[in-house]
Amino acid sequence: MTDITSDLQAQISQAIADKVPLDIQGGGTKSSLGRTSQGRAISLLEHSGVISYSPTELVIQVRSGTKISDMNAILAENKQRLIFEPANFDSQATIGGTVAANQSGPCRPWFGGVRDSVLGIGLINGLGEHLQFGGQVMKNVAGFDVSRSQVGAMGTLGVMTEISLKVLPVFEAEVTLVSSMSITQALQTMPQFFRRNLPVSAVSYWQGNLYVRLQGSASGVDSAMQSINGEPITAEQAASWWQQVRECQVLHTSPEKVLWRSNVAATDVHTLCAPDSFINWGGAQRWQLTPKDQTQPEGAVQYLGGDRTNEVNGPVNRVAQKLQGKLKTAFDPHAIFNPGRLYSWM
Amino acid sequence: MTLLATEGAQPQIRREDLVSDLSTMFSPQQILQDEENQRPFECDGLAVYKQMPWLTVIPDTLAQVQALMAYCYKQKMPVVVRGAGTGLCAGAMPSAYGILLVMTRFSEILQLDADLAQARVQPGVRNLALSDAAAPLGLYYAPDPSSQIACTIGGNVAENSGGVHCLKYGLTVNNLLSVTMVTVEGELVTFGGPGYDTPGMDLVALLSGSEGLLGVVVEATVRLLPRADKVQVLMAAFDSVTAAGDAVAALIGGGVIPAGLEMMDKLAIAAAEDFVKVGYPLDAEALLICELDGTEAEVAQQLQEVETCFNASGATSVRVAKDADEAARLWLGRKSAFPAVGRMSPDYYCMDGTIPRSQVGKVLTRIAELSEQYGLPVANVFHAGDGNLHPLILFNDAIEGDLEKAEALGADILTLCVDVGGTITGEHGVGLEKLPLMPYQFSDEEVAQFGGIKLAFDPHEQLNPGKSIPTLKYCQEYRSIQHD
Repeated sequence: MTDITSDLQAQISQAIADKVPLDIQGGGTKSSLGRTSQGRAISLLEHSGVISYSPTELVIQVRSGTKISDMNAILAENKQRLIFEPANFDSQATIGGTVAANQSGPCRPWFGGVRDSVLGIGLINGLGEHLQFGGQVMKNVAGFDVSRSQVGAMGTLGVMTEISLKVLPVFEAEVTLVSSMSITQALQTMPQFFRRNLPVSAVSYWQGNLYVRLQGSASGVDSAMQSINGEPITAEQAASWWQQVRECQVLHTSPEKVLWRSNVAATDVHTLCAPDSFINWGGAQRWQLTPKDQTQPEGAVQYLGGDRTNEVNGPVNRVAQKLQGKLKTAFDPHAIFNPGRLYSWM
Repeated sequence: MTLLATEGAQPQIRREDLVSDLSTMFSPQQILQDEENQRPFECDGLAVYKQMPWLTVIPDTLAQVQALMAYCYKQKMPVVVRGAGTGLCAGAMPSAYGILLVMTRFSEILQLDADLAQARVQPGVRNLALSDAAAPLGLYYAPDPSSQIACTIGGNVAENSGGVHCLKYGLTVNNLLSVTMVTVEGELVTFGGPGYDTPGMDLVALLSGSEGLLGVVVEATVRLLPRADKVQVLMAAFDSVTAAGDAVAALIGGGVIPAGLEMMDKLAIAAAEDFVKVGYPLDAEALLICELDGTEAEVAQQLQEVETCFNASGATSVRVAKDADEAARLWLGRKSAFPAVGRMSPDYYCMDGTIPRSQVGKVLTRIAELSEQYGLPVANVFHAGDGNLHPLILFNDAIEGDLEKAEALGADILTLCVDVGGTITGEHGVGLEKLPLMPYQFSDEEVAQFGGIKLAFDPHEQLNPGKSIPTLKYCQEYRSIQHD
């Protein structure tokens, strides 16, 4: 529960002076995501703790090394929650890594992802300057949105020191309904949950079963149950299933296999939709395991396993590459933050 | 004003030669150069800032936009992009030397995907036209700025526009899936996609609210939401703004997130009531208007919770709309608040700060003191749910010095917002108007970082030059004056 900002700045200044790249680390739960990156370790793990939390403002501000599990516990005491339902990976995941890797849970299409909760950040840029962007208020359009731009950047734009997030009340009631169907039927059924006015918070499909979670007021959930096909499962069964989904444990990886992920239009019927695919986000997120020598499926990210020196995030359009390269230089002119972690050319 | 802004590069070309070059790309009707035709474009919704365009171009194909940008890049010519011109920060005010690029002809909804609940639109599509088109599918586009009848999606992306339903449904950025833009060099690029969370850094977020400084938005994909089965509106009166603020905190802290939650102070209530006669209690110091939406069952339960909460928080009266007509009338007063206040005074100046909700009592008390000190009345209209404050400063431009007084009072209000942990702009943007206050909210290093982002996308500072990001020279001068 300490503030080591000045120490972090000193390490960054030293790295600039030594011309040595830095490998930004937190709880280590995402070290196998993205591409391999070589560099001197800079750890954010000690830089943890809640800076401010006011339940009636619906805002929590924490240091970036704070564990997701610790945040969940503090919020739960006040009957509130992180909106994007991130994985806590055996209580080791930190909020900094979660933001950098853009790790949102099963509710993402209905309640928004990491980017939709981020209100502000502290950031040390590649000149070693400690900067503040956004803030602790819900609406803020002063200056470019540097805060949300960090989401998914895998630490390539700087070291996040503090993060402010919007939070919301916990739900009064929750139920999960399960129905059996083929993957073809599931892909047709799932998108309807985007256009029906129901308190749906997650829809996933695995091995012949469609799981639909309702969360909201007791009366709302109760009445919605009547209009959806499927049998309710017990609260324990539901908690266990959604934990597996949230923690990315549905498909079991091994050294011989590669786990692919693709975020697509929910109505897509071509991408990662084999009978053994795991489908999340109401059809908008697909997961599949293949032997490790298989070529990259179109539109897929090489999420886990295989050769991590590959372009694991897939190809990037020439113009987008040029702009992102320049943006990287604008934040990190000496190219010291996580070189090559996101793309080989960055 | 030159103190504030990086001036766009001076043109290396005479206007006649420019027109001659452009006539290879555009028909004569698409190029406006005379004063009469360009007059409507000299300002946006903040009419105190005016500049006649040097040359106005109205393309109707993507190829024309790309050709124009490629041409301007070679000439290092400033380009200001304009949609419907409803912005409130002079963000679309033309450059003295350069091209005003008007995008209103790109008004086609390219795809309404009912299965996905998404729409792919050109930037000139009006905000409300999109919801109207989606209505037969039972869908709508959630961000609803007050100007939604006229404002366009391209402008909404540029400003990251909000509206009265932001607390529950988010701003433009939260409803935006992808953006296609033409770069300053004239190249086409798309960020995001029809799925959520494409790999890599979130450039859709960076473009949202970038005020036309990074590229020309030519297409956007947005998500649509199912229309609620039930909408309920209620109104509660309070004998102090602090009590109303506390009621908002109690409601939200208690776990209720309304679709909309608006506050008006005594002067705003009086103005609205006088204008539209909806039965607002004139003896109240503050009024809350609360909208709940969802399924029948959800709304019925929430309504009970909200009534209980408001009564427990000391509401002097609570009125629940009996039907859709009464609900519409309760909203009408709030939605008419700006023109209603406008009737009370020859001119008004609308501010746009955001503050933590807990500070509302303190901030409104201080605004009342400042109002007295400057001798200008202030009416307050407030998106109470998300802390976005719109003080309306009443003044008379015909009186010499009144506008300057209003601007000084406005600046004091916005710096007050920053002092209590908020921001100088919640949803209207910085544009030209709030440029002078940027150094109050941001350090020189932060401003320099914004400048670096700008140069990554626009190396010659051609796009909307002189807006949104102040020069470091100005920031340093601002700080030296503050110290004196």
